Amino acid sequence: MSNIMLKELKLSASPLAFIFIAFGLMFLLPGYPILCSAFFVTLGLFQSFQTAREANDIVFSALLPIAKKDVVKGKFIFVCFIEACAFVLMVICAIVRMTALRESPVYLQNALMNANLFALGAALVIYGLFNVIFLGGFFKTAYKLGKPFVTYIIVGFIMIGVFEALHHIPGLGQLNAFGSDSLGLQVVTLIAGALIFAVMTLISYKASCSNFEKIDL
Amino acid sequence: MSIVEVRNIVKKYPSFELKNVSFNVSEGRITGFIGRNGAGKTTTIKAMLNLIHPDGGEVDYFGKSLLGNEMDIKKHIGYSTGAVNWYPRKKIKDIAAIVSHFYDTWDVDAYNKYLRMFNLDETKTPLELSEGMKVKFNLLMALSHKAEVLILDEPTSGLDPFSRNELLDVFEELKRHGVAVFFSTHIISDIEKCADDIVYISKGSIVAAMTKADFTAKYSGEGESLEDTMLRMERGEFDE
Repeated sequence: MSNIMLKELKLSASPLAFIFIAFGLMFLLPGYPILCSAFFVTLGLFQSFQTAREANDIVFSALLPIAKKDVVKGKFIFVCFIEACAFVLMVICAIVRMTALRESPVYLQNALMNANLFALGAALVIYGLFNVIFLGGFFKTAYKLGKPFVTYIIVGFIMIGVFEALHHIPGLGQLNAFGSDSLGLQVVTLIAGALIFAVMTLISYKASCSNFEKIDL
Repeated sequence: MSIVEVRNIVKKYPSFELKNVSFNVSEGRITGFIGRNGAGKTTTIKAMLNLIHPDGGEVDYFGKSLLGNEMDIKKHIGYSTGAVNWYPRKKIKDIAAIVSHFYDTWDVDAYNKYLRMFNLDETKTPLELSEGMKVKFNLLMALSHKAEVLILDEPTSGLDPFSRNELLDVFEELKRHGVAVFFSTHIISDIEKCADDIVYISKGSIVAAMTKADFTAKYSGEGESLEDTMLRMERGEFDE
């Protein structure tokens, strides 16, 4: 497995996939829909898939002495690795905002979503949507990128809108908690986001393995 | 000894069909897979590499079925095509460094030997290589992991006559090292120059699969060249 990961990182990946990890830092931006940072990270991944397609990466991988499902596994591990790297940045930014900068007026007056554990959970849901819609969609053909990505953009931005709107709904204001306020709720929403991410990624991986096995390359 | 056995491969597409394609590839021999454009050469090769799923038939390597032994078999075969660029903007040495991790048989000495033999500059990218050099780059990858069978899809297409001749000489050299070379082509003179065996496909069916000597004896008329024989056969005129 380390072989295929090495191939993904050194041959298949576009440099943009790595550069766009930095968008995780957008979690520091006040007055900005911070979940867009998760979207931009996946935009870098989309670019990476385009670069790999131009390099005939899938057929090259299928010719290597590995099982077809390992080709799929390599892509999923690579995607999750990039998502995880950016997520670490988001976590650091969220912790800074929840501790050192919790009283900062620029964040307290922020009309948009606050960077807290709920926001991190929501970012994981956006990642999960990418993994299930884009990755799962790509492996139906191992060639067509546009349709799954456009579908992901539509669904992803609707969900970003929903997450941004939630704390304005009466009774859900605590989702926008500052610092360690409503910590129990924040932790639960983060765990829920992580579970949704894991389930969506796993379902997509299983379906992708099955579909990729049937494709004529 | 046959090291590749293709048996009754059937693959149906809306406008094309491979019909019970069967032939063998023998150790230490060069097999030319000839047919006009669209005859089914690439489809057959893709079936041999499990890149497409035949509706019927089997492919065995070294007496083992490809299905179920794919990972093991792929360690012993090499594939090349002149038409595809792998990672066009990566340096050859970087691609080789990654590929080497997939093969426990990777031989650095063989890599350096064939690098010199093919006059390849490992700091170049596939994008910077001529068509002939691209094929040699693919051969370099295959030979560095000591592939015993080379499956080459139209390696000579698009090459000038000098590069083509040079590549055919490389096949002869590999044959001397015991490698089985199976290459598809629509250029009959390639077969005439270096093939030991001929597999002739037309409209998705194998017309003949035998040694070149047997083919000539069976199908060629008095004083007729291989090219004339095949052109006549392609017109549907047989003279056995």
